[in-house]
Amino acid sequence: MDLLSNLAATFVSQLQSPALAFLIGGMLVAALGSRLEVPDAIYTFVVFMLLMRIGLEAGMEIREAELGAILLPVIASAAVGCIIVLAGRSILPRLPGVRMEDGIATAGLFGAVSASTLAAALVVLETEGVTFEAWVPALYPFMDIPALILAIVLVGVHQQRTEGGKRARVSYGAIVADSLRGSAISALLLGIVLGLFTHPDSVFDSFYDPLFRGLLSILMLVLGIEAWQRLSELRGVAHWFAIYAFIAPLLHGLLAFGVGYLLHLSTGFSPGGVILLSVIAASNSDISGPPTLRAGIPRANPSAYIGASTAIGTPIAIGLGIPLYLTLAQIVFDL
Amino acid sequence: MTYRAKRVSIVTEKLNERQIERIVEEAGATGYTVFEGSGKGSHGVKNRNRSIVSAFSLVKIEVIVSSRETAEAIAERVAETYFENYAGIVYIDDVEILRREKF
Repeated sequence: MDLLSNLAATFVSQLQSPALAFLIGGMLVAALGSRLEVPDAIYTFVVFMLLMRIGLEAGMEIREAELGAILLPVIASAAVGCIIVLAGRSILPRLPGVRMEDGIATAGLFGAVSASTLAAALVVLETEGVTFEAWVPALYPFMDIPALILAIVLVGVHQQRTEGGKRARVSYGAIVADSLRGSAISALLLGIVLGLFTHPDSVFDSFYDPLFRGLLSILMLVLGIEAWQRLSELRGVAHWFAIYAFIAPLLHGLLAFGVGYLLHLSTGFSPGGVILLSVIAASNSDISGPPTLRAGIPRANPSAYIGASTAIGTPIAIGLGIPLYLTLAQIVFDL
Repeated sequence: MTYRAKRVSIVTEKLNERQIERIVEEAGATGYTVFEGSGKGSHGVKNRNRSIVSAFSLVKIEVIVSSRETAEAIAERVAETYFENYAGIVYIDDVEILRREKF
């Protein structure tokens, strides 16, 4: 009961946090049919700014960090991403009305990671005064890329099995290259490299860091509008996608929380890091994942996986997931 | 003085743009023009202002070639490769061109 009342209190206070408020505000204006629009270019720029800031900070931190301490969380992230995809692959296609390709593509997108959810969590932790190793956000690509590749490979295996012999050759190199060249991961990696090898401290302190919160609110507004507009697409596909999109982010986060707790016991991984690992696992890709899957799994219906992810998965991961892992960490680690 | 030529217009998801351009060039066309757009069809509404993922907006790739065979080869290869799984239409029409040596 303690957990529930704590959760309710945290949830109510998070509801008033800028991130969630703008997200819900975006849904509201879209629901009311407002013509309020944030141009594509702004959205792209905001995502770049957020990931550059995350990357720069991670890069500057990795300079001082012990590489051994990073290795285990990296492996854990990749493993969690793959477990999420495998679990989705074994559950979703068994549900009525869910085609194998659509099920695997959806699982792939939920295994992949959302930069906006991650950014929202960073702001929450900062506000709550929860500290974490600054390289933790850099775990992003290590969960994102393996999940997308695994989903594409699983569809290839399935098609080979059902259609016999003729299997479209999956070029792993091409998928990895495509993921790395995506706008989100490119910005993150560039930030890490600049943070590692140069001294961007002055632009970080005067530009990227102060703008972070404000830009995040714009991003949340866009995601809210997008979520509402994508809801209509979900109506055309099996209801199970909506149910999966509601439950899966929370379960994925709890799984990662467990893994993070083991890391905490074995390597002293910080409680803030455990929360972020849970948030990364709970999030589902909204920028880079969909085009990669559309190209890699052409037979899957994008309405199913984008609808599930953008319309339901992301709002749940931000609105319920982040307060849930925060509360859980407060209880488990006695923060 | 004008000359008869064929114009192949391919409307499809932006995602496929690069690979279709490669098909067009391999077929021997000397150039093409790409237009961005939006629209509605059996794959739903594709509105470039309404999606944060620009790869799902539409493009129209126009190619003008001098021979009917080349035009049909491009159209058929694009339709076979992409239109089972992706939104798209392709059509060929007659156009009159100047400067025949350009095509």
